[in-house]
Amino acid sequence: MLKYLVVLLDRTSAAFCHADNPYSVRELMPLPVLQEALLFAMKENLSVQFVYPDYELPDEYVSMIDSVDHIDIRHVVGGDVCVLDGMDGDAEIDGDNVVIRTTSVELIDNLPSLIGLMSRATHVAVVLTDMLSMSDERLGRYGEFLSDLEREVAGMIQSGVVPQINLLTDRLFLAEMNNCNAGWESVTVAPDGRLYVCPAFYYEDESDSIGRLPAGPDMRNGRLLRLDHAPICRRCDAFQCRRCVWLNRKLTLEVNTPGREQCVVSHLERNASRRLLERIRPAVDFLRDNDICEIDYLDPFETIRL
Amino acid sequence: MKHITFIVTKDCQLACKYCYLVGKNTGERMSWPTAKAAIDYILGNREIFDDDGVVWEFIGGEPFLEIDLIDRICDYIKREMFRLGHPWFDNYRFLFATNGINYGSAKVQAFISKNIKHLSIGITIDGTQRKHDLNRIWKDDGTGEERGSYADVLRNIPLWRRQFPNDGTKVTISSEDIPYIKESVLHLYSLGIRDVKINCVFEDVWREGDDRLFEDQLVELADAIVDNGYYNGYDCSFFNERIGRPLDPEVDNSNWCGSGRMLSVDAAGNFYPCTRFAAYSLRVKRPRIIGNVRDGIDLNKLRPFLSLDRTTQSPGKCIECEVASGCAWCQGENYDAALTDTIFQRSTAICLMHKARVRANNYYWNRLYRKLADEGRREEFENKRKSQSTQSFSC
Repeated sequence: MLKYLVVLLDRTSAAFCHADNPYSVRELMPLPVLQEALLFAMKENLSVQFVYPDYELPDEYVSMIDSVDHIDIRHVVGGDVCVLDGMDGDAEIDGDNVVIRTTSVELIDNLPSLIGLMSRATHVAVVLTDMLSMSDERLGRYGEFLSDLEREVAGMIQSGVVPQINLLTDRLFLAEMNNCNAGWESVTVAPDGRLYVCPAFYYEDESDSIGRLPAGPDMRNGRLLRLDHAPICRRCDAFQCRRCVWLNRKLTLEVNTPGREQCVVSHLERNASRRLLERIRPAVDFLRDNDICEIDYLDPFETIRL
Repeated sequence: MKHITFIVTKDCQLACKYCYLVGKNTGERMSWPTAKAAIDYILGNREIFDDDGVVWEFIGGEPFLEIDLIDRICDYIKREMFRLGHPWFDNYRFLFATNGINYGSAKVQAFISKNIKHLSIGITIDGTQRKHDLNRIWKDDGTGEERGSYADVLRNIPLWRRQFPNDGTKVTISSEDIPYIKESVLHLYSLGIRDVKINCVFEDVWREGDDRLFEDQLVELADAIVDNGYYNGYDCSFFNERIGRPLDPEVDNSNWCGSGRMLSVDAAGNFYPCTRFAAYSLRVKRPRIIGNVRDGIDLNKLRPFLSLDRTTQSPGKCIECEVASGCAWCQGENYDAALTDTIFQRSTAICLMHKARVRANNYYWNRLYRKLADEGRREEFENKRKSQSTQSFSC
């Protein structure tokens, strides 16, 4: 069931997930389309997430946006979600929820910067932008990085600071899958009023639209975006995984089937979360009922191969 | 058992009306370097191809049009399996499905003599002349006249029966073929072909009322088989005791189709999860390439095929179907017919035909067992079937 409407206010709106935004020429969503999007969201009872470009919007846009409850996603501080492109430990973040878009290589080389950002942010979500080119060697290094990060986070928690970072702490609090669910629980409207599964589908192929406002989405085989139609994921307990359907399609040609890279990354994180839980349990009085069992695989595909 | 298919040519002497190969042509012939590269990759990657044995299949078009290449490929496979000490050396077969036209040629016969211990060959003959010639016609020779191929195939049948007495034939039923099913199966039996693998096409070709006609034909065929004693020693795959039952969503959740567990390679050196995903087999969709002889298999692209189960791809009516067992599907046709580029949408074009088959199948077994009971031979028959079934499982 749809819950969220992601509104790309401009073709150059900030990319905030795995896919880069290839567009560089501004094209602001016409005001009537914005109005249509808001009307659609209100009628369908959807929470609205506005994604901003890197320039100031005209006043009439600001007042229309402020006429509904919403979340702002943009490159600058002051919104609900601040997107950082690359690791910049000195970035001004002002206690925000932060999304860091970075490559695994840059992330691995900048652990101190990440720790610094974590200590100043409410929640940090690291999004890897090189998921399509992850080698086994890089996956191994990522696992080692997570071990280092886990020790740092454990130290922070034991000293009374509880940072929140999607790679480690999200899994501690989850008892079921908490994926992106693009196309199932959220839909994205592009500046021209066309609807997409998520911004990545828009970036990749503008003709890959799933409908248009005001009619709303008309998705064929939409059931394949649901967890219960994902044979590998529905049995998985890497609950923090984004289960990115765009990555799925890029790597396996099917939206409901993850590539090995996404599974291994998520399981390295899951296992690091498990080690973190074991390490901090004696020092904290929460998470008493949570448990993450030990497993002997990094790719759940190995366990379900029929 | 791994099944590896070489699409050696996309050419054929015939232009069968029901042929699913929509992109046949004379230009795409496999070269020796491509075939060799495929073999080297397959035999050199035991961690991917870890099955106990292998079936090397050759298809086209018509595979025997490329008998020189096939002979070279098979020689190389045997030599390499021996040189590498590959476990498949003790467990391999070469498999052909041919239209039978070139079967008696000197080159094909020399190949058969050389490989006969490891060879299975099925000649496609659809039944009586009128049934066969309805669909299996020669390519247009410019005269615009339709010419059936029955006589050209039939002359090779006696030789084939002598060389491969246990190999059967495969018959495909489309809408126009329905009235000829009974006479065709009986005709094949009369030619000494004891194993008739027969199925309805998966494509959406069916017209209103076809299911009733189909059921009537199968009931007539059932009567003929029972009355003439063909249930002893002859087989027609339409009749099977295991079909027509509900399936448990948890326990009976396997995929029907073996695509992804098989591998096909075409003239360009591209790999496919099965031949049906190659461009020449697809009406609408793009080919589903999962690698090539240079870079190997992209294992990510195999994951959907190997994790695909029955319930995920089936609509609710199939999951709840009371006669679901034995209802088959072709993954390639599912893909081609799907609303999006997915293998996870099952085509149900065959639904009414399957239900008709189940009704006729029930009739067949009820008639047969009643007859055997009247003759006091039911227990003996059932024990024999049980023992055959155990033997086939233990193999």
